[in-house]
Order: sequence, then structure tokens, then C-alpha cells
Amino acid sequence: MIALRRMRGQNLVLAILAALWVATIIGLSALSPAMFNAGTLTNILQFSTILSLVALGQTLVILSGGAGIDLSIGGTVSLSAMLAMLAFKTGMPIALVPPACILIGLLLGAINGLLVTRLRILPLIATLGTLFIYSGSALALTGGAAMSGVPAWMLAWGRGTIASLPLPFITIALPAFIVAGIVLLWTAWGRWIYAMGFNERSARLVGIPVDRVRFLIYTISGGLGGLAGLISLAWLGSGRPNIGQNLELESLTAAMLGGVAIVGGRGGVGGVLAAVLLLVTLKTGLLRLNVNTVWQVGIVGILLIAVLIADRLTTHRR
Amino acid sequence: MINVLPRGAVVEKRELLLLAACVLAIALFAIASPFFATADNAVTILRNSVELLLISLGMSLLLAMGGVDVSIGTVMGLAAFVIGRLLTAAVDPSLAALAGILAGTALGMVTGAVVVFGRIPAIVATLGLLGVYKAAIYLALGGAWLSGLPPTLTEMLQVRIVGVPIAVIVIALSYGVIWLAMRRTPFGLHLLAVGNSEEKARLQGVNTKLIQFSTFVISGTLAGVAAVFYIGTYRNVEMTIGSTLALDAIAAVVLGGTSILGGKCSLLGTVLGVLLLRILQNGLLLVGVPSLWQAVVTGALLIGVLSIEGLSGRLQLKFAGATQ
Repeated sequence: MIALRRMRGQNLVLAILAALWVATIIGLSALSPAMFNAGTLTNILQFSTILSLVALGQTLVILSGGAGIDLSIGGTVSLSAMLAMLAFKTGMPIALVPPACILIGLLLGAINGLLVTRLRILPLIATLGTLFIYSGSALALTGGAAMSGVPAWMLAWGRGTIASLPLPFITIALPAFIVAGIVLLWTAWGRWIYAMGFNERSARLVGIPVDRVRFLIYTISGGLGGLAGLISLAWLGSGRPNIGQNLELESLTAAMLGGVAIVGGRGGVGGVLAAVLLLVTLKTGLLRLNVNTVWQVGIVGILLIAVLIADRLTTHRR
Repeated sequence: MINVLPRGAVVEKRELLLLAACVLAIALFAIASPFFATADNAVTILRNSVELLLISLGMSLLLAMGGVDVSIGTVMGLAAFVIGRLLTAAVDPSLAALAGILAGTALGMVTGAVVVFGRIPAIVATLGLLGVYKAAIYLALGGAWLSGLPPTLTEMLQVRIVGVPIAVIVIALSYGVIWLAMRRTPFGLHLLAVGNSEEKARLQGVNTKLIQFSTFVISGTLAGVAAVFYIGTYRNVEMTIGSTLALDAIAAVVLGGTSILGGKCSLLGTVLGVLLLRILQNGLLLVGVPSLWQAVVTGALLIGVLSIEGLSGRLQLKFAGATQ
């Protein structure tokens, strides 16, 4: 019964997001008719890749409940990219940069997982602390400068397209969402995650290894951050210490917009991917209209609060 | 519910430990750098602590209530902008200061309304508001710094009352009033009860929404007061104003022993936490650590203290289990 209701909620979210997306595109095209073509689509998907991976991690963390939140995710993206490039500069073979990125991301996520599950620190405080450690280290290690020297074969993948769809989106982001969707819907692990978020006490009572699952989820979230860092390297051609800035706000907004309940246990990954596309379309459009990026942070903030208030209003009417 | 009333000793073990940590840090930095243990540097450290002391006072109440506000630095920034604009328009400095404090109060009301009446978790709501306020500061400044403000406010704040700087008096008064409110009035009792368990407090007849809302308003007002001293000292408003204040305040308050799970509040601990943080930041800069590492040090301090607490909690549990 609960599953049925959740599916209906998910379809409702998807329908609303699709309507909003169409409205955004029509609105932006009316303001600037030359805005949308195949190049724009490539551009939007390219920008979506990093945010979608980070939002996926954020979604899993929030879904599993326990006041779960990963504020450090932007710092994880920056630091994994910077550390991998730094290791390469000090003699690590270039072929090892991709696995190093992912490994460092997993490690940084595992630190969050340990702080939350072993030391019982509130996730928001623990990840706020690690956000400053990770993003601060990424900046301080290089004195704030970007690190170039990404090899051509990585750029070929990071910037390549098939039928105007960017390669990183097809080869990494889309499969990640499909796997996450399958795991959440059709495996015991997925059921466990929903059960933990829905009611942690009863999840423990029926014997779900709550702490182990939660530790793994924070680790996976870090790993997805590492992947996002790797994509930023291959796409931009250099390691930038501030690449992860504001990602915590954006990923949270995408997850909330995608119908994930902030208390956990309710929501799915399809809505989140749709929300990421909507957010990035809006941002790309605003950029084309020469609206400053600081404005975008404000708009994302307002969107986040509006979505949550709307969610509260509708759930209490039911 | 009565047992949450703070009747403990005025100075507890936590405060003594912090004091010891401050003394140790001062001793180490005095050995490491000839510039640290000077009267000038001591004044610098205290001067740099003024805004953080005021912001952290509000943050202590918020955390004890089970809330948090990561946008508080930008609230101070917006209040500072209001003061700066009025000063350039040659408004009387005391009026400008009052307007700044009221701006802080108003923004506190906005934050409180979103969190309390929107029923959104404080961390998510204030993260969203952080984005909104950042954009507002950018919009207000129009891409340029507000600098070279007239020194009228600065001159007004240089007044000493029986030899004591006005900043010291304002801080002592704020802490004194709130300390009394926490210990001697129903407000303190109710605030800690909400921090312990909002549900239980509500069932006991506490007006939880009013308590939560007024705590955000107090915190906003204190950020407004902090803005007055900020403008008095720096006489400019830059784009990134207050960007690290919220984390610094959370770290200082947690260091001071206020429980992040709510229900426990130590104002003396907060003062010592602020001083320790500023001593470390100042000392590390003087021994040659680049200022880019400051955020890392603050974050590490926060995580470090909480980890030690978490570990000792686990050990205590183990011992308790062993004796059973």
C-alpha cells in the first residue's frame, strides 16, 4: 500500500517537473528566441552531469533518514579532483588519475560515514565541519590556483558527444541513475534504505544493519562526488579548487524538488534527475540572458524554500 | 521537565579545560613567535573577537534550542550594508546604528518565520536563505565594494565609559542579560525544554513556536549589533562579508560545551570557545601558516572536539556495560 502511494507520488512529481520544464523552456525562448538548439541541449546535459551525480549521492543520504544530509559533497568534488591532480604532478602515472579520483572520493565519504555512524555526530554538523576541511584543503593545497595538464585522451572522453549527447552523461551519470533506481526499487538493499528512512526504530527491530548501510551510503555519496570531480577534470581540462562551490545547496534543492522528503523514506531517483535537468535548464537560460551567477544562487535558494513550504502545505492537507 | 533547569556549578569541568587550552595555546605561540605575546596583538585578538562573540551568543541559544542558522554571517552583512549606506548619506551615526540593529531583527524574523511557520528543518531553510541573502548582498552592492565610509560611527564607538571600551560593555550586557534570562526566567527553561524534545515541551504546555521564533529574532538582533561594530572597525562592506562567521560561531559554541542535540547551554563556554578559536587563528597566521588554511583549522577543531566527545561517550557506554 505504502509502495503504491509512493509510486503515485513519484509520477505526480515527474508530471509537475515536466510541466515546469516545458514552461521554463517556453518562457526562456520567448525572452530570447535563438536560445534553444542542439548545441544548447549538449550544453545543458554537460552541465547536468556533475550536479546529477552529486544530487544522486545527496538523495541516497537523505532517503536513508537519521537526519541524513551531506553538506560536504561540494568539498569532496573539489578535493578529490585536486588531490588526484596533485598526485599526478608528483609522479603518479596519468592512467591512475581516474581511479585515484574515485578512491579519494570514497575515502572522504567514508570519513563522513564514520563520523555519523561510529561517533554519533549529527550529520549536519559533521558534514558542515568536513565541508570546510575538504573545500578549504582543496583551496589551500594549491594556493587557490587551477592545475592544468589533463591528458588529451581524458579530454576526448570528457568533451566528446554521441548524437549531441555528452559522453560523460551517457557513460557515467545515466548508468549511475539506472543502477540506483534498480537497487532502490527491486533489491533488499533498496527496501532497507526506505525502511531506515521511514522508521529507523522499527528498521533496527526487524534486524536491518542500519549503521552498516548508512556508512556505505555516505561512502557511496563520496564516491559519486569523486566521479563528479573526475568528470570536471576531463571536461574542463584542469583541476579547479572551487569547482564544488554551492553544490551542497544545488544538490539539496534538486533532491527536494525531485520529491525526496527531507526526513527520509520517501522519494525516488527519477524525480531527482528530472529536477537536475530543470535546474540546469533554468541556470543555462539565465546565463544566456546575462544574469549574474550570484543571482542564480539566490534563485536556487528561493526555489528550495518554496518547494519545502509547498511540500508541507500539501502533506498536511491530505 | 523541571530537571533541565541549569542548577549546576557556574564553572564546570568543560570551562576549566577550555581555559587550560587557551593558556596552553598562548604559551606555545608565545614561544613560537616573538610577535604573539605583545599588548598590541592581544588587543588585535580581542578586537577580532567582538563580532564573533555577539554572533556566537545567538548561536548558543539556537543550538541549545535544537536549531542552527548557517545564514547568520550574511545577515550581519546585510545589516552592515544598511549602516554603511546610511553613513554615506550623512545620517547621524547613532540612528544608522539603530537602523542596522533593526535590520538584523527584521532578518531574524524572516529566518524565524521560514523555519518555524514553514516547518522546514533549520539547516535546510537557512542554507536556502544563505543563497538568498548572498544574492541580496551582491544586488545591494551592485558588484562594487562599499568602502571609504565616513568615520562618524567609528568616532562614536571610541567613547569609553569609566575607561572601559563600549564594545566590552555591550558584550558584557548582552551576555549578562541572556545569562539571567536563561537561569532565572521561564524563557530559559522553555528554550532548553524545546531543545531536549520539542514534542514533549509542547505537550507540557510550552508555546514552542513562540520560543523558536523569538530565539531566531534574538540571534538576528545580535547579528545587527555585530554589524555596528564591524562597520565601526573596518568602514567597508565587501562581497564576501561574514562568509565564515556562521561556521566559526558553530565551532566556538560546540567547543564551549553547548550540546548540538539541544537542551544544554553554556555561555561562559561560548566566550572561551570564541577566544580559543581566535587565538589559534591569530597564532597560526603569526607562525607562518597561510590564511587559506583557516577554514580547515576551524573545521578540524569542530570535528576533533566532537570526535573526542563521541569516543569518550562510547567508552563510558562500554564501562557501564562491563559493570552491569
